[in-house]
Amino acid sequence: MEAAPSRPGNERKTVLEAHDIHAYYGKSHILHGVSLRLGEGEIVTVLGRNGAGKTTTMRSLMGLTTVREGRVQMLGHDVTRWPAYKIARLGVGYVPEGRKIFGNLTVLENLVVPEARSGPWTLDRVFKLFPRLGERKAQLGRQLSGGEQEMLSIARPLLLNPRIMLLDEPSQGLAPLIVQEVMQVVRSMRDEGLSVLLVEQNVPLSLAIADRAYILDDGKVVYSGTAAELGANHELVEKLAGATAH
Amino acid sequence: MQLLLFNAFNGLIQGVFYALMALGLALILSLNSVINMAHGGFLVIGAYLAYTLAPYLGFWGALVVGPIGAAVIGLFVERILIRPLYKRPDPLYTLLLTFGLALIIEDLTRTIWGAQGLPFQVPAALNSPISSVLFFITGYRLLVVGITMAVMLGLYFLLRYSRLGIRIRAGTLDLETVSALGVNIYLLRALNFGLGCLLAGLAGVLAAGILGLTPPMGSSLIMPSFVAIIVGGVGSLVGSILGGLLIGVAAGITTTYYPAASEAVIYLIMLIVLVIRPRGLLGQEGLFE
Repeated sequence: MEAAPSRPGNERKTVLEAHDIHAYYGKSHILHGVSLRLGEGEIVTVLGRNGAGKTTTMRSLMGLTTVREGRVQMLGHDVTRWPAYKIARLGVGYVPEGRKIFGNLTVLENLVVPEARSGPWTLDRVFKLFPRLGERKAQLGRQLSGGEQEMLSIARPLLLNPRIMLLDEPSQGLAPLIVQEVMQVVRSMRDEGLSVLLVEQNVPLSLAIADRAYILDDGKVVYSGTAAELGANHELVEKLAGATAH
Repeated sequence: MQLLLFNAFNGLIQGVFYALMALGLALILSLNSVINMAHGGFLVIGAYLAYTLAPYLGFWGALVVGPIGAAVIGLFVERILIRPLYKRPDPLYTLLLTFGLALIIEDLTRTIWGAQGLPFQVPAALNSPISSVLFFITGYRLLVVGITMAVMLGLYFLLRYSRLGIRIRAGTLDLETVSALGVNIYLLRALNFGLGCLLAGLAGVLAAGILGLTPPMGSSLIMPSFVAIIVGGVGSLVGSILGGLLIGVAAGITTTYYPAASEAVIYLIMLIVLVIRPRGLLGQEGLFE
């Protein structure tokens, strides 16, 4: 059943589809009809300048920002305007921008918060994947380094045994070596059959691991295509995402 | 000296009630973001329920059922009235709502049970002083302190070690992220509100055995309880307990020397704390640290 990573997304079963979604912060209109889809076992990256609407897109998909118009479908359900916890319980993991670690809680307590679902991901396995977290179980979240916080932020939703992972800028503020480690984890998620939607400001890294890419600008999708195509077109990336692809 | 001890102990008992109230208020404030002006109302509900049920259940039964009744009514109030207001970030809405609710509960109590004070009978064995010198320390007063300490310890273990408690603590830091991790935050907030009302109801029953029952008993306890939170530090549950005991004892001691100022001293303490340490005694730190 599992598709090879290189196959184009259109042939895969869709696990997530946003259709023409509009979202607002107060009165300002942030998303002007974003449409995107994620196939089973795919890594899809969403690129764009600061303020292009990447984080708002992720929040809208997760049910944290209200979708005023348009539809979101995930894993066979219309989840538009569902509360976040119901979406999470379908099997959707979310790694928020800025990690959002519970700073006054210990590492272990941070991992007790998620509504764990049965599956291959258990506390033991999480500690095997992130040995540093196992070593620092009793430390407070705010005492961890940035990289360790990122690991914890990824570990938490893994306990939901998700089928979809939404990752919002996991490399933000991390040392290059740690970024490599994070990307390796993202890759291994796909190997486990997870579908990953990845928002990144690190364009070369995300294009290197993604199957397909979208570029957002001013709350709209201005480009979509395979990651390989986009990676080869440096000018386009620079123009639309405000970054170089190498 | 004996008079000073007498007043200090009275103040301590009063402080225990403030602390129980402040603890519930602080829980509801930090997770539900509701400034629960009706908290005194739940105290009244607990007390009057216990009074009404005591003839059937006995004192001990009423002591258990009264607070539970207050919690159940709290759950209804949260579900029907407060939950629709969570999506409005301005705390003014729930403040006005619970303020109105406080007035309604007080007047309903007056309508049902009458405006005059009612006595709440505690078992005779508990009413005798433990010694002739310390005549003011009765078995009942020790019971009040003992039960309160046990409940606070229980709450500490609940928040420290249970999954529910850990989620409540996480929710006070970042409710949105808790929700994105699959936790039903509607249920979490409801349980937390009920827990706060349970503490208020318990304070009501315990206070009724010493002060008797009157419809405004809740509103007379609520302002000092808010002061206790501010003195102790918003966000710190230990601070709320400390603040409650501190202002209770301070008011008691003041009664010895200058009774007219016994209430004013509570606000004087708040003023001093706010000037010297604006975040309160234990503010800034998280829950139970």
